[in-house]
Amino acid sequence: MSARTAPLFILPAFLLYAAFVVIPILQVVGYSFFAWDNGIAQDFIGFANYARLGSDQIFWAALWHNAIWVVLTLAFPLLAGLLLASILAERGPRTVQIMSAIYFIPRTIPLVVAGIIWGWIYNPLFGLLNYGLDLVGLGNLAGAWLAEEGTALLSLNVVGAWTFFGFCVVIYLGAIQSIDPSLYEAAEIDGAKWWRKFCDLTVPLLKNTTFFLGLYAAIEAMRFFDLIWVTTQGGPGYATEVLTTHVYKTFFLVGDFGYAAALSVVLLVIVLGLSAISFRLTRA
Amino acid sequence: MKRSIWTAPLALVFATQAIAQDAVVVTQWDQFAQSGISAAGPAMDELIASCQPALNGASVLRTVAPSIGIRDSYRLAVSAGKTPDLAYTWPAASVLAGYARVGALAPLDEYYAKYGWDQVNPFYKGRNSYDGKAYGLPMEQDLMGVYYNKELFKENGLSVPKTYAEFQALAETLKGKDIIPIAFGNRDRWPATNTFSLILGLTAGRALEEKVLFGDEPWTNPTFVQAAQTFQDWAKADYFPRGFNGVGYDEANALFLSGKAAMTVTGTWVLQDMIRGADFDMGVFMLPPISADVPPGTMWGEGSQWQLSATSTPAVRNAAAAYLNCLVSPESRQIWVQKGHSVPIGTTPEELAAWGADPVVQEFFTAGLATPDANFYDLHTTLPESVTQVLYPELQRLAGGDASPEDFLASLQAAWAAADANGERWRP
Repeated sequence: MSARTAPLFILPAFLLYAAFVVIPILQVVGYSFFAWDNGIAQDFIGFANYARLGSDQIFWAALWHNAIWVVLTLAFPLLAGLLLASILAERGPRTVQIMSAIYFIPRTIPLVVAGIIWGWIYNPLFGLLNYGLDLVGLGNLAGAWLAEEGTALLSLNVVGAWTFFGFCVVIYLGAIQSIDPSLYEAAEIDGAKWWRKFCDLTVPLLKNTTFFLGLYAAIEAMRFFDLIWVTTQGGPGYATEVLTTHVYKTFFLVGDFGYAAALSVVLLVIVLGLSAISFRLTRA
Repeated sequence: MKRSIWTAPLALVFATQAIAQDAVVVTQWDQFAQSGISAAGPAMDELIASCQPALNGASVLRTVAPSIGIRDSYRLAVSAGKTPDLAYTWPAASVLAGYARVGALAPLDEYYAKYGWDQVNPFYKGRNSYDGKAYGLPMEQDLMGVYYNKELFKENGLSVPKTYAEFQALAETLKGKDIIPIAFGNRDRWPATNTFSLILGLTAGRALEEKVLFGDEPWTNPTFVQAAQTFQDWAKADYFPRGFNGVGYDEANALFLSGKAAMTVTGTWVLQDMIRGADFDMGVFMLPPISADVPPGTMWGEGSQWQLSATSTPAVRNAAAAYLNCLVSPESRQIWVQKGHSVPIGTTPEELAAWGADPVVQEFFTAGLATPDANFYDLHTTLPESVTQVLYPELQRLAGGDASPEDFLASLQAAWAAADANGERWRP
């Protein structure tokens, strides 16, 4: 194969990529420079849709909620995944197999289904959580978890964490199993206890895996939509509004295609930025 | 000879093509589901068949779109320039006006004149008009009222309130007996718009609503503040179940149907489901006026409306209009009532009785149609979409105690001003 013929082999894939990724993205960017009325393009307005972002308080609230989601996702599922994987790595192969599968089950449940399940758990009328709190004498803590501004986002993040931590366990477990066992044996000979080995060996040696999971979680946290939509649709008020729900409402419900396109471009830039960081760090 | 062998088949092919080209097909989108306890799809099919003579050789090609999604589907169709010839969609008012504004809809004035659709009163016709022209033919009508559990009322020695003070006393009595006064769930965001529209109309009256909707009166006027305060007071006074912003509309209805709540404030669109779901004696009453100077009335509007595409040919439009005229005829209205589980505009209480409608249906429409001059607007189907998308979350905040009535109305006023500046405001 010569250098001249190589592009011919790439061409089919490139054409597909251009047709389904590049051109739609350029189309969205193009939409963002026009005013729209009921889905019909009107005047070219340059960057006016982008200028609206500054005064759009819902946009900033949504961005803030995305940021909170990123931080909470980095804090809990990753930490839980790391600890569980470290504990699990020391058990026999059968236990590892069974427990990994169990931990991974929530990851296989579509977020829409997870949202419905947890919507029932959190339901203020017949929810399992309030019922359980009542049973153990903590009925005074029962609440309308998804219906109050103070608890809605955190409650949803618990669902997100529930669906994500199993993935972290499996990825961390694979990474731990690839660490040279002689390092742990040497540490044990030196008298290191479990916690010491975890802090001084496992955590530093999993740095790349943590980077990968962290950035993957951050990108996912910017993209998620279905869980919010089936549970709260961004409410109560704007308490669980995120960028994707704001884009959806602006596009499908308001019909302001131009501003929805501008919001989408901003979201795309953020996700691409995170992806670039991820790429650079994992390569390093 | 060889030439004559080929001439006949070719002539047949060309003739068939010519007939196919001349055949008038009316593409129709509607929301009448084919299955379910109150499905109107079979009635729609029956009416297409019975209206065939009116089509004068044309045919109807029907597509069913779920009512929850047809609003969005239609917008995408407008955007793509692929609207069906005839659509039975919702809402009217600002949204319909938006489609008329961009030239997606055909005016219907000539058909109103030709067929004399007088059952569409000025209120309904106004909601289906924009800039002086009619663009929609409303068919079903929606009314808002209070469903109540007669047995629960009787057991607790309660009676239907005649004044707002009596309604408040009723709610307090129910609370004292550990019965939820009003089954209300607002997780779906839109139910509060209906409840608030009812409170607003009974506080401000139609005249003041029209000053705001069509004039320069601001949303922040004192009477609207009073209405917002009343809605918030209902929530604060525990008239609603715990965590109502996290309770779905269907769950709230189930709460009422299970006998755990004594009343639910909602519309006729759920009437058939309520009748079938209630294993107790159910009744309906109209919420009394909240302000002393406002006459009795209720929120009403068209459930949906028929609209014609501007891109259809005149032949298709004429066929569709003739077909519509058949769909809203007295004979067809009887089919809608008896088999379609809906009450078309123009149907009188006497007709409902004669056609054997359920007593609760008769009760609801008799009460709601008794006050045509005082009935008022449903914000949910009246405002521009950009304002509706502010109304939904702000009502959740108002009811949840996270926004004051003044802040709530200030947000609406800001959205209203932006929509007005953007040309989205609807004026009949």
